[in-house]
Formats: sequence, structure tokens, C-alpha cells
Amino acid sequence: MALTKKRIGLVCPYGWDTPGGVQSHVNDLAQYLISAGHDVSVLAPTLSDENLPDFVVSAGRPISIPYNGAVARILFGPIAFARVRSWISQGDFDILHLHEPAIPSISLLACYAAEGPLVGTFHAAAKRQKVSFAVVPFLEPVIEKLTARIAVSEAARLTLTEHLETDAIVVPHGIYADRYRDGVAQSRWQGSTIGFMGRFEEPRKGLPILIAALPRIIANFPDTRIYIAGPGDVNGTLNEIAPILQERFQFLGRVSEAEKADFLSSVGVYVAPNTGGESFGIILAEALASGAKIVASNIPAFDSLLGKGAYGALFDSENSEDLAEKIISVFSNPVEAVQKSALGKEYAQAFDWKVVAEKIFDVYEMAMVGDRKVTLSSDARSWNRLLGRNS
Amino acid sequence: MSNFWPILFIIAFFAWYLSYSATRLDRLHHRVETSWANLDGLLQKRAAIAIELAKSEVSDPASAMLLMASAHLAREANFRSRSSAESGLSAALGVFLESDSEFTGAIERELLNELRDLDEKIRMAIAMHVESVTRTRLVRRKLINRVFRLAGYAPEPVIYEFEADVL
Repeated sequence: MALTKKRIGLVCPYGWDTPGGVQSHVNDLAQYLISAGHDVSVLAPTLSDENLPDFVVSAGRPISIPYNGAVARILFGPIAFARVRSWISQGDFDILHLHEPAIPSISLLACYAAEGPLVGTFHAAAKRQKVSFAVVPFLEPVIEKLTARIAVSEAARLTLTEHLETDAIVVPHGIYADRYRDGVAQSRWQGSTIGFMGRFEEPRKGLPILIAALPRIIANFPDTRIYIAGPGDVNGTLNEIAPILQERFQFLGRVSEAEKADFLSSVGVYVAPNTGGESFGIILAEALASGAKIVASNIPAFDSLLGKGAYGALFDSENSEDLAEKIISVFSNPVEAVQKSALGKEYAQAFDWKVVAEKIFDVYEMAMVGDRKVTLSSDARSWNRLLGRNS
Repeated sequence: MSNFWPILFIIAFFAWYLSYSATRLDRLHHRVETSWANLDGLLQKRAAIAIELAKSEVSDPASAMLLMASAHLAREANFRSRSSAESGLSAALGVFLESDSEFTGAIERELLNELRDLDEKIRMAIAMHVESVTRTRLVRRKLINRVFRLAGYAPEPVIYEFEADVL
């Protein structure tokens, strides 16, 4: 990968202990870079200092704030800023990689405080909000310090050009495609079964849409069963389901990666009814890599991930009728679905960490051309030098 | 004397804002230099590979001549003609790569793979460069930066009319 060992600093804005796409992306990337022989340090907010991997440095306890349709655990404020500054000045980094630097978080603080080779990755895809008119004048001078910007999907790139009027290179999220490639189909999950994965309690993951679609599917395929994998409150969710449907549901809880691979390659159809707020769709990419037969909502991220329907069926987002129709057509015409999933499996190899991390490192190399190190930007201000402030 | 402090404050703030704007501009110009150095390096590398390809056994005399000539033009082009020279090299390489399946030698395959990787990188480098140039020009055009000539003697960065797809 690289001839010289680099010191790389990664900043993760969301609480390290809570599961999420950005956190697992940063974690996987850090581990990949470490295995390639680099020195990596990750700065992230954490709830507790126990069980932290040794490459993670805590920036303090995160605060829960509703953001982009979910509760985000982020961190900012003067104490966090001081920690960010000392982490940067002690780290002596060759490059700093900031994740989601456009939200109020330690990534933004790091971008403000640092100078030198900076790379920013934008994960979120959101519609333009009125607030951005007020916020952009503050954000712009900070964001423009980034030497290179990465967007995880075309949707995230569009968000970036709309909100901040800057362009970005698209490098997708990484998955360990080889871990999903060899899933073994298990008979207990086969048949006319519907698989669902993720935090099912969150409305934007779209479980209610699937539930609303069930009566029509059952009318056509009476032995339909639904398997749900992922963390959440089972009883609370079951109570919202009509009693006659309840017995068709089975909750598997959190599953290991190997189980996930088996699960995805077994189920009759894997459904991703997300209503939005999804920018890339890691779980969907994993489903592709394991060769699952997929029906997903046509939100922009999924539309591009499924190649406009080449690797799986798309239904009109939030439309249960359409979802039912697409699932029935997969059940009644499995040959076509299998062809699509075979293509998708092949396509998903492009998201393997080997490919993705190489691309990210290419961007690093481009940002590091000048051979400058990352410093605190206040050191460069002449009056601070005059006053002898070196904090 | 009662007006003294507010005025002093305004002057101090204005001085701070000038210094802040100048730092911002300086940083942007630096970014343009970095992204150009990066792109320039990659383009030089591509020209070197093109010359190597021209000298290899796979190229017939006609395409060898074309490749050689355009690679040399691209390397020696000055500031103004750089863009068209690089486009010429892209076109020459494109013609060459169309018959790509006929190359079987190990060395040639190696060169072609290298060329493909490089192409990907050049694409990214162009995106980075164009972004930094447009941003810098945008900030240079701000009234305060023009009135106080905060850009100093730094030349206005130019956009090269690179082709959207290099190969």
C-alpha cells in the first residue's frame, strides 16, 4: 500500500459506543490502515473509557441531539475544543481525516483548529434546509480548509454541492465483502420468508411500511414469515402489530457477521424499506455482497446502490401497495431475482475494503503532496507568534 | 470622548477581519499550489508511461510516433498550451488502448494497468484542483479582498480546460 509509514489522525463525530454507519466506517478504516503499517489515532466522543481499542482517544462524553431524523450523539464546547487542540498538537500527524465536518461536532472543531493536509468525508444526505442560509457563511471558511473532500455516495455529493457549493470525490463506504461472500443458505430461513435488518424501532428504517404491506402478501403466499435482525425493543414493536400477524414475526436480536451472511443468503427476499436519511446504505451493500434477493425503497442512495434496479427491485418509497407487489413478484418469479442478485454480488466486490481503503489512501497521498505536517492554525497567526502563545 | 471606545472597537475588529481574510486567501492560494503540484506530478508520470509504451514492442510505428510526439509535447508545453497538449496525449493513449486486448506481454500488461490506476488518480486530482481554483477565485472576487488587495502579488489561479474524461 505505502512505502512510508504515515501518522494518520481520524476524527469521528458520533459517540464511539453507539452503533452507526459512520462509527463502523471509521473503525474499519482505522483497522485497515493499522494493518497496512500506519500509525493511526482516532478521536471520538465516548460514554466510558472502558473497552476502548487502544487507537481510540476519548474527547469526552457525547450529548444526545436530534439531527437528520435520528438522535445523534455528538460533542462540542470549550472543553472538547481544548481536547481537540491538544490531540492535534501532540499527535504530530501527517494527515488528518475528518468525518462529517459540516455538523457541529469535534470534526468541525478539528477542521477549525488544524492547518495542513486535511481530508474530509461527508456521509449525510439531506434536503436543503432554510437554516443553511444562516449557517453557511460561518461554515464556508472552515470547510474550505480541507485539502480534499470525499463523499460516500452520489447523494451525499449532491447534498454537499447544494449546501456548501463545493465538489467532492465519491468514494463509497467500505464493507468486508469477502466475509459476506460465502454465506451458507440455511433451511430454517428459506421459503417465502422476508428478511429485515437494522434498528427496527426507528421509523425511518421503514418497518411500519413493511407491516402495512403484509396482508396483501399473505393473501398470495399464506406461509409468509418475517425475520428481523437487529437491536431494539421487541415487545414494544410487537404490540403495534395486529395480533393475527404477530406469530409470523421472529426477532433474532443482534447477529454476528457470519450469521448475517447466512441469514442474507437464505431469506426469500431481503427488504430495505427505509424512508430516507440514508446516504449510502451499508447494510444494503452487505446484502448485495452476500447475494441476497433484494427489494428496496427508491430513495436516491438505494437507487444508485442497486444500479437503478439492475441488482434488486426498487419500490416507490413509503408506498406499501407497491412494496407488496414487488415482494410478490420476487416470490413468484425467483429466477429473475436470482439473476439480479448474482449480478449484485459481483458488483458489491467494488465496496470491499481492499478497494475502498486504497482509494482513500490515494486521496491522502494527494493531500500530502506538499510534505507539510498538520499543525494548529493559531500557531501560524503572526500576532500569536509575537505574543509567544504556543498552547 | 464618549465615542472613543466604540470607534476603537470597530477599528480593532476591522483590523482583525482584514488579517483573517488575508490568512484565508493565503491558505487558499497554498491549496491551489498543492493541488496543482499533485496534478502536475501525475501528468508527468503519465507522459513517462506513454513514452515507455511507445518504445515497447506492442506499438506499431504509426502509434509509436503519435504517442512519442504527444508525450513530448505534453512534457514541454508551457503554461498556456499545457491543457491542449495533455488532451492530445489523452487522445493518443485512447486510440492506443482501444486495441487493448491484443497485448499479451507481461511488461505491457503491467504498463497498461499502471496507466489505468494513474487515470483514476488524475481524475481525482483534476476534481481537487478545479475545486480549489474555483473556490480561490470566488474568494478573491469578494469586495474587501479586492479593495485592500489582500491577494497581494499572488497570480490569479487559472482553470485548465481539461477534458472531463481523461482517457
